Parts: sequence; C-alpha cells; structure tokens
Amino acid sequence: MAGTIRAQYPSTIRPVRINCTGRVTPSLMMRAIGKGADGIIVAG
Amino acid sequence: MLQASRTTGVNLYTYSEVEDISGFVGNFNVTIRKRARYVTNECNGCGACMDPCPVYGYDEFNEGMNPRKAIYVSFAQAVPSIAQIDMNQCIKCGLCQKACELDAINFDQQDELVTLKVGSVLVATGWDEYKPETGYLGYNIYPNVITELKLERILAPNGPTLGHLFRPSDGKTPKRVLFIQCVGSRDLNKNTYCSSGVCCMIAIKNSKLIKQHYPDTQIDVAYMDIRAAGKDYEEYFTASRKEGIRYIRTNISKLHEDPKTHNIKVIIQNTLRESLGIKEFEYDLVVLSASMVPSKGIDKIQKILKLETSQDGFFKEFHSRLNPIDTKIPGIVLAGASQGPKSIAESIAQGRAAASSLSRLMGKEIYRIKLIRATVDKEKCAKCGLCELNCPYDAIQLMDDGAEVNEILCRGCGSCLANCPSEAITLRYYREPQYEKQIDAILEEL
Repeated sequence: MAGTIRAQYPSTIRPVRINCTGRVTPSLMMRAIGKGADGIIVAG
Repeated sequence: MLQASRTTGVNLYTYSEVEDISGFVGNFNVTIRKRARYVTNECNGCGACMDPCPVYGYDEFNEGMNPRKAIYVSFAQAVPSIAQIDMNQCIKCGLCQKACELDAINFDQQDELVTLKVGSVLVATGWDEYKPETGYLGYNIYPNVITELKLERILAPNGPTLGHLFRPSDGKTPKRVLFIQCVGSRDLNKNTYCSSGVCCMIAIKNSKLIKQHYPDTQIDVAYMDIRAAGKDYEEYFTASRKEGIRYIRTNISKLHEDPKTHNIKVIIQNTLRESLGIKEFEYDLVVLSASMVPSKGIDKIQKILKLETSQDGFFKEFHSRLNPIDTKIPGIVLAGASQGPKSIAESIAQGRAAASSLSRLMGKEIYRIKLIRATVDKEKCAKCGLCELNCPYDAIQLMDDGAEVNEILCRGCGSCLANCPSEAITLRYYREPQYEKQIDAILEEL
C-alpha cells in the first residue's frame, strides 16, 4: 500500500508481510521487541 | 426470460425464494422455497378465472394505480404465464375454480421446498427505487408529486391508461412538468453515491417521450449535474435540449401545493444565471428522480451467502476496478445492479462477464487451490472450538476427533492459528519458525 500510494516512510521501518492481520500472534510481536525493535505497527 | 424458459437444461424457479445455501465451489447445496400460487402448472394463462372473481386489489406492477382481481397474472409478460391468487384478499368463493377449464386452481397448495446441488452461484438481485420519506419534497402528501418509476408506468403502453399521460389528482394531462434530479442520491444525509447516471438518462428519456406525445408541454429538469457519460448519451441530452426541454441547475429545497388546483409551486434559483434571482414557478406535475438502492431482499441473500456489502449497501466485489465481477468467495459471482448502480448496457456487459467467469471455472474438471492453507495437528487439538468461531470463511469445523479444515473454503488467512490456545494449527509456508527467522534476520542488522 505504502508503495502504490508512493508514501514516504522512514528507512528504519522493516516490513514483514503476513497473510492477514488475524495471523499476527502475540508471540511474534514479543519476539520482535525482544530482539530490539522499538515498536510494532500492525497495518492491514 | 421467455427464451430461458424454452431452453432445455435451464430450470426456472419463478415466484420462489432462496432459503439457504451451504457448501463450497463445485458443491453448493441450495434450498429454494417455491411459494404457493394456488394455481398448478396446468394453467395456460388464458385469464378465464379473472372475469368472475369478485374481489379487487391494487396492481403492484403498475404501482397501485389500477385495480386487479384477487386472481391475476402478475404482469403481461410474466414467464411462465401462470395466474396466482393473492390469499390476503381471496374470499375462497370458488368462482374461479368453476371458470377454469383446465382444473388448475388448487386452494390447498402449500409452499414447496426444493433442494438443488449446484456448482456455482450467480447473484443478480437487482435494485429498487429509493422511496423518499413522507413529506420530503412533498412525496406521499401531495398527489401530484410522483417518483420516476410511477411516471414510467404511466407512460408505458401497457400501463394504467395505456400510455396516456395524466396526473394523479384529477386525471388531466399536465401542461407543465418538473423533473427533480438526485432525489436521495449525492446527498450526505441519504445516499452519498450517484446512481451511475441512470436517473439522468431516464429523466431525459421520459421528458423526450412526453414532448413527442404532447409537444406543447413545458418540461423543466432541475438538476445538479447531468451525467450523460457513455456512447451517444451526450448527443441524446443535446437533442433533448434542442426539442425545448429546459435544464435548470438548481437544488430544490422546498415546494408546496396550491390546495385548490393541486398544482405544485416550487421556488427555484438558477445557479448558472444568478441575475434571474429566486422565483416561484408553478407546475402541474413534479417527478422525483429517485436514486437506485439495493433490492429489499439483499440482507437475506447476504446472510445466506456470507457475502460482504460495500458502504452503499450493494454487494462487494473482489476489486472495484480490477475484478468487479467475482466475489471473495470462489464460485459466487455478481451480475448487474446487485454489485452497484448501473444502466442496462452495463448490466448486460457484467452479466456476460459473470457467466464467462463461471464457465471458465466450471468448464474445467478440476479446481486448483493454493497450498497456503491451515492444517490441524489433531493430537494437539483440545477441541475448544475457538478456531471455528474465528474463521471468517466458515472453513474450519470442530469434529469428534478435532478441528477439520475445508481446504477449498480456507483462504489461508491464519486467524484460526493466531487464536488457537494449544498451537495445534499451522499455516503451510507461513509457519511460526519461518516468521521468527524473518524477524530475527531483519533485526540482526540493527
């Protein structure tokens, strides 16, 4: 989406493509935070 | 319709309603309620039963403008041409039974449930005319304010007066007619959408028709914008202007009736000629070009098919520009105004596209699915049923030995596995460790 509307976003954002926002589990988010991510945006 | 009824291999269920649909592409089970007509299929539509019937009702097809008997054929071109009895009005005198030479009338007929096995479903539920609330622009309180559909019936050669224009209050031919466009559409408080220019073109068509039959009629069209987009449409609009139909760009907020003559007085300000100021005009007949809205039964069909609707209330397509024909459920496609307001030409185009989309699907012997589907480890499954509750596609069901995924209905969204407390469900190609590796790799460089 960000690509098709040519939105600018900071280079420090790392997208992980997931089939559906329903698939996002708390354990995945906790893992990312545990590995040093500052925050998580769940966008669908 | 007539051609369809005569084609072998096509079964028509008229005066029927779909009660339930279950299953998936290639394997739908449909339950249809065939409503009782109280007349058997022996009927050949001769009409002998209608003459002796002593009970009168309103003809719904002509918007209630002329009477019909309690036993009637719904409209002249009905397919199949079979009479039906309105049981709310019938007094069961039996006169029609005596008149019928084919013994086709059966007062004890019951609704019949038919179950069918079909491969795919084409939804073509059509549209209804928006009915303004009572009092809005005088609708329902002033007899000479009518909607476009009613005018359509008045002008029809098989209408209540065989095509002679009249106004409801005194039956006289109106000399001054005003069309008000965009009633109930392009209005933030009602329907926000434009009905695809259909009401514009109907108003132009009807005003031209009136002008042809009664050349001295003064016809004004109060419009916001005339949306005559499409082949030959703009030329049609220009031709109507040359015939003397006046188009006034204005937004009409108020009109009132002269109680003696039942004429309608309208306050109009032409926004393209503001020097003319605000003036009151008198009309014999006012026609409201009401917008297209989804047909009444759409809620029921939506629940049965588990389809989505878009903001305007019409069925939601797969993609509004790239695929406006299919739905998100494989094997179910949309045709005509069930997907959104559209004209006859656009409806035909979409209907053909929908049919070819289905034939491409059904012509093959096999149906290919992607392997990105949920799988259940039945040994881990605690049979809590959370997955069944959370599945948006009804693809997962709790069996005696654990949850089971229907691989055709499943679309691999993963809602079930995110909700599974015992981690018994995995998504092929998108398993937990695969995501973990991705996250780890991304965050390594930070």
